[in-house]
Amino acid sequence: MIDKTLTIGSTIALPKPELDLLLADLRGNGFQTVGPHLQDESIIYTNIDGLKDLPRGMLSEQAPASYRMIQTGKERYFDFIPGGQSWKQFLFPPRYSLFNAVKDGTWQLQENNEPAPHYALIGVRACELAAIHIQDKIFLREDFSDPICRARRESLFILAVNCLDPDATCFCVSMGCGPRHRAAFDLCLTELDDVFLVEVGSELGRSLLFNRTFDLPSAFVQNSANLAMERAAGAMMRTMDTSDLPGLLTGNLDAERWTEVGKRCLSCANCTLVCPTCFCWDATDQVDILGKSTRRDRVWDSCFNPNYSSVVGGNTRPNIRSRYRQWLTHKLGAWKDQFGVLGCVGCGRCITWCPAGIDLTEEVNAIRAEVKT
Amino acid sequence: MLPAEDIQSALNKVPWFNTLTPEHFNKTVELTHIRHAKAGEIFFREGDKQDYVYIVLEGRVSLEIFVPHHGKVRFCTAEPYDVFGWSSVTPGMHQRTAGAMAVLDSTVACLDAEGLRQFAEKDHDFGYLLMRRLANVVASRLMVTRLQLIDMFAGPTETKND
Amino acid sequence: MTTMLLNTAAHSAGYTNKLLLPHWAEVVRIIPEAEGVTTFQFKFIDPEVQSRYRFEPGQFNMLYMPGYGEAAISMSSDFDTDHGLLTHTIRHIGNVTKATSRLKVGDMVGMRGPFGTSWPLEAIEGMDVVIACGGIGLPPLRGAIHRIIRNRGKYGKVILLYGARTPKDLMYPSEYDAWQKADIEMQVTVDRGDDDWTGRVGVVPMWFYHFRVDPHKTAVLTCGPEIMMRFVIYEALARRVPSEHIYISLERNMKCGQGACGHCQQGPFFICKDGPVFPFRAFEHIFNVEEY
Repeated sequence: MIDKTLTIGSTIALPKPELDLLLADLRGNGFQTVGPHLQDESIIYTNIDGLKDLPRGMLSEQAPASYRMIQTGKERYFDFIPGGQSWKQFLFPPRYSLFNAVKDGTWQLQENNEPAPHYALIGVRACELAAIHIQDKIFLREDFSDPICRARRESLFILAVNCLDPDATCFCVSMGCGPRHRAAFDLCLTELDDVFLVEVGSELGRSLLFNRTFDLPSAFVQNSANLAMERAAGAMMRTMDTSDLPGLLTGNLDAERWTEVGKRCLSCANCTLVCPTCFCWDATDQVDILGKSTRRDRVWDSCFNPNYSSVVGGNTRPNIRSRYRQWLTHKLGAWKDQFGVLGCVGCGRCITWCPAGIDLTEEVNAIRAEVKT
Repeated sequence: MLPAEDIQSALNKVPWFNTLTPEHFNKTVELTHIRHAKAGEIFFREGDKQDYVYIVLEGRVSLEIFVPHHGKVRFCTAEPYDVFGWSSVTPGMHQRTAGAMAVLDSTVACLDAEGLRQFAEKDHDFGYLLMRRLANVVASRLMVTRLQLIDMFAGPTETKND
Repeated sequence: MTTMLLNTAAHSAGYTNKLLLPHWAEVVRIIPEAEGVTTFQFKFIDPEVQSRYRFEPGQFNMLYMPGYGEAAISMSSDFDTDHGLLTHTIRHIGNVTKATSRLKVGDMVGMRGPFGTSWPLEAIEGMDVVIACGGIGLPPLRGAIHRIIRNRGKYGKVILLYGARTPKDLMYPSEYDAWQKADIEMQVTVDRGDDDWTGRVGVVPMWFYHFRVDPHKTAVLTCGPEIMMRFVIYEALARRVPSEHIYISLERNMKCGQGACGHCQQGPFFICKDGPVFPFRAFEHIFNVEEY
């Protein structure tokens, strides 16, 4: 039964198979539907067609330096907490060809005029949406606008999902970023055993429901969903006290703890790769052997890379201690001066995917304790 | 030798001398003669056992060391009111460790170091003022020398690369 | 955050909205300077870009050598002195800058800019100015010197303290006479002299012992190796020059020049966009933190 009195803010109960039709509709409208997919015993974000590509019945179990998948046997698609990949790869591609320069007598430029894909992100968590908004402040500014990000961002469709089962490394509540969605989405799912509760967030989202079959959820069902979300918020296993940030870190650059964590950190850059807000990049020239044709690419970079801070005659951050300190005092410190917010959304990826198991919530606590004594 | 009044007026221009008592000042004047040197004139050479301490009044004097295969390296210059040859005032100096040559036409006050040392022994008040001044001279020379040692303008091939 | 940014919006003509896309410029003139250092003058190929392009002393361009990459190079002149040509004094020391040593007149390079903050020449009008620089730190100040000379009456005493490693490394010696005639007091010093050198041997910071500074109306502009700047700042602060009247120019690894790629950050600042010229006051709390 079609109920055309849907408005922005309405919630409906969508039978799960309807999602496949909704995604097909999106593709019919020129969107590329990307979402979570099980691969190599973890969750990646890639092209998906529908429910069959989602990690059905999978729960994740995370800890510092550990990510495991557990079969639940249930017919649920979004119980897991996302893996190492984040959505930033779609707005901020890891490698992007900017232009070719070709020498034919004189140098000529061939710009990359590839049209930007229209992505429909399927299954965005609250922390991830918060991260997208943080990156908006970096890539889409008054004084600088990244055209690659802008083109993708303007056509972005967001199908959000509320988390009901936070994992051990999550701390989105501490960062004010979740687990419940409040910010701008097109549609937002809360998964129940039989149906998806879908909240309408935009006109586009609303229009996609016109041809779908759905019911209005009963008060009981809505209540259960709300209770589940409240339980999720109360089930965080990690916290980070942000009340004294950024000053706690930017004001204690000589803390002993930096030396200590500098000994454990491998400077492998995993944390910056999996972090949904990290934004550093480099530009490289792929030149042919005759030096007559070169392709200039923009690629992800990391402040942990040894040459990141190299200058003529040396390196301003020549050791791991200085690079780890830079990363943390930037993300939980200088970021606020630069962009008005802290750079962390509490997703926990950096903790899970650090091979040394370094936990930034623990580091912050340790520095706080050291400073108090 | 210039008349004492001329030496007095020359030394009066040097800031340190204004801090001395008239008695100390006069005694110092007795130990001083003024030398006018043309560019290229040598005050002392490495190895000399000469015994003066100098204050440049006009011009410029360069301190230099001869380094085999490099020639003469000028590592320091003394400008008006700079002291050079200060090591003769410190006990234990046996010979000059560098040479001094005027690079511009210069007027230099030459103070008899042996006389200064003896006076300082007898009159510890003067001795203290002398050593205090000397300590400042050495301190600022050391600062300059350290920065020269760090070789801050060197290119990367010459510095340690991490 | 810094409050002395000069208006750069009017000057942005040499870059596009496409990320890192350069304009092409050709080499118009090559002037060898010291060993391993060359001054180039460039002109944009597109006359429309060339006619719009404006810059202030202290700013920099991103120079692109295809196949090698980009390097941030300071403007080495004042816009009016060189009639709008882009003058860049380059030390051939890194991958990109070594490639520039093979440039010939007529060759093309990519150019994006101008970027960054400039020397606050208007803000310091009426003051005595001490310009303390060393080595390759003189080129970014040369444009400021030209501008001051052209407006000499607006400044009090102006003294240039310039140091280099050896006499052979001194930049722009042919201009010193003209600068002195324009009532700029010059104190040139080298770290070590040779047989022919009758000038001063010593280091730039020591010159503060040789003249009096009125802390109420003196501005210090300094650029050069950070250790030289550090000692210049010590001496200036010791003479009670307020830290908001000391201006420094910093150098960091710059890739984009626009405050986007993250490389040049120190503390909350992007050196390419919040700098490279800073009032020392803004930087005081992090300048001496090792390896920050």
